[in-house]
Amino acid sequence: MASYSTDRRDALKIISAIGATCAYPFAADELYGQSAEHHHESAPAAPLPAEPSFFNPVQFRMVTRIADLIIPATDTPGAVGAGVPMYIDMVVGKNKAQQKLVTEGLEALSKKNFMDLTEDGQLAILRPLCEAADSGEASFFQTLKNLTADGYYTSQIGLIQELGYAGNTALAEFPTCMHEH
Amino acid sequence: MVNLGDMPDKLYDVVVVGSGAGGGTLASQLARSGADVLVLEGGPKIDTRTDFNTHGLPFQFPNRSIPVMKPGKPGMDSERTRGVGGKTLTWNAVALRLSQRDFKGRRHDGAGEDWPVDYHEMAPYYERIEREVGVCGNPDHLEDMPDGIFLPPVPMKCTDEIIKAGAAKLGVKVIHVRKATLSRASHTRPACHFCGNCMAGCDVVAKYNSADVQMYPAIKAGKPLTIRPNSIVHELAVASDGPKVSEVRYFDRETRAEGAARGKIVVVACACAQSVALLLMSKSPAFPTGLANSSGELGRNFIPHITCGLSAFLEDRIGIHAVNDEGFLDHAYIPSFMHDRQRDYPRSFGYQFNYQNHRAVGWARNIKGMGKSYKEAVKARYPAYINITGYMEMTPNPDSYIDLDEKVKDLHGLPSARRHWKLSDDDWKRFNDVREWGRRILESSKAEILSVAEKPTTNHEIGGCRMGRDPKQSILNPYNQAHDVPNLYVVDASAFPSSSEKNPTLTIMAMASRAADHIADRLKKGEV
Repeated sequence: MASYSTDRRDALKIISAIGATCAYPFAADELYGQSAEHHHESAPAAPLPAEPSFFNPVQFRMVTRIADLIIPATDTPGAVGAGVPMYIDMVVGKNKAQQKLVTEGLEALSKKNFMDLTEDGQLAILRPLCEAADSGEASFFQTLKNLTADGYYTSQIGLIQELGYAGNTALAEFPTCMHEH
Repeated sequence: MVNLGDMPDKLYDVVVVGSGAGGGTLASQLARSGADVLVLEGGPKIDTRTDFNTHGLPFQFPNRSIPVMKPGKPGMDSERTRGVGGKTLTWNAVALRLSQRDFKGRRHDGAGEDWPVDYHEMAPYYERIEREVGVCGNPDHLEDMPDGIFLPPVPMKCTDEIIKAGAAKLGVKVIHVRKATLSRASHTRPACHFCGNCMAGCDVVAKYNSADVQMYPAIKAGKPLTIRPNSIVHELAVASDGPKVSEVRYFDRETRAEGAARGKIVVVACACAQSVALLLMSKSPAFPTGLANSSGELGRNFIPHITCGLSAFLEDRIGIHAVNDEGFLDHAYIPSFMHDRQRDYPRSFGYQFNYQNHRAVGWARNIKGMGKSYKEAVKARYPAYINITGYMEMTPNPDSYIDLDEKVKDLHGLPSARRHWKLSDDDWKRFNDVREWGRRILESSKAEILSVAEKPTTNHEIGGCRMGRDPKQSILNPYNQAHDVPNLYVVDASAFPSSSEKNPTLTIMAMASRAADHIADRLKKGEV
């Protein structure tokens, strides 16, 4: 998170001469929108709620565990570190169709004592569900994977720390690609 | 009738309904020529410098969706993109001249309609607009995509260079995009700073919008231009003594108070379907099926652009370190190449690229697997993701038209404009070629293809109020003036008799400028 904010406030010299090659007769009524520098303020993340509002504590622990298995912590935090379970709670809490699908899916996992299993045991249950979801089957797992991906890669951790999103800055010039293609 | 504080008996030279590319261009040009102009805009005044979430990032919002407007700022989130400046506030600024083939498509391949004007008549107006607002691009010397008066082009992105090399193997050209965004500062506006969120306002007005670039400067210069925001026009009333718009009736978007304005000339520029809807709503004994509709063609010949999205990962970029290449969204364009190749359908298509920024990663859902390998696969592909979108022309058919839905009212209680469109067999052949060529170009660029749209979608509403020489076949004459109603003009993409595959906005502006000359001339001669 520290990598994004004030150190990317590249200042931009905005007032520059018109290119000599360009005949460009703007009516100079006023210097609209001009300033010597253009700063982009750093963007604080919206705070997440402290407690889930839709899932009960048992369900929320399961959602948290599944999100953690879909996007684990590596050299960067994973879904749990990025607060994704709370995002899932918020989205599912507003979507009746997802509520039914997810709560029934969690119920089915409870019957298999999912939370008492080892990681290998848990993955042995989830991987076939994941394969089915990847081949387009609309399912409980697909919903959780979609929500986990959405929540993680739109978080500050996922978008900036993990993927390295570096845009939303002010550049004086767009760099020419120097690769050979 | 309450007049909302305006001068009730004032007769303006020109009343313009709508303030986007067409209305803004025409209104400011006429005001600069000395005409007394009133612009009625259905939406609020919007400050592009402060009102949009131009620099928003998804994690700033609990639901991770970046609202177009900042909190408490009205306007662009409504069902219609209303606001002073219209869609130019949120457009992507691609600014292409149409070619002689585009204006004379019927002559070229026998289908659809020709325009009643040709490229050589339009060229001076394109040039006027390019000089007025600033368009960057590279002179590519292509017959089918005439060069304009360009500011220097912005360098292509690395992804564009890869596709350029891949497409070249198929004999397909990739050129620098041409955009009404400043690549160099002007006297009045700064150059683009490449923040990469062009379709959410532009907080420095490097990107053209009609309010900041045309209308406000005219007002500041003391020209007789009045803008009345929040004025939803619902009827153009016809005079009892002849085919003439006598009154432009509106209500205030917030207070619902009713008002009316009078102009010697009335210009409709509400963006295609809304312009057609306004004329359809303006029924009178003289025009029982809608204003200026003696031909019965009003609403017909709706020919939106048909689009096909493809997305992929470029293998050359999988696994590289992500860098900031948001730029001003799309930096490259694939101009039409099929128009002079062997094919079994009329007209053609082109492709836009990468006009989505990298602030959201919706495709991550579609990467297979879970766990560490999944996370690595997404990260590796992040710098490699591209999308290209084919834009194709369709030709008019009886099943594609705009009408009013009297049962479904819009936010303001007016009948909503209903768009009907259906592809003909020829359109389907062309659409299949858009998919096929898109796939070929991506494969030739060594891409891992993620998706190719199977179903057509639409963008750029065009047609419904077309111009032509024959009053039985068209609504408007070659100067955008209604055949039936001499003091009525329509200047937006509804007037296009054929759509080309090229983005319409620069042509809307050039056409509006030409219509403004026509109006100024008539005012000067005392013909109105």
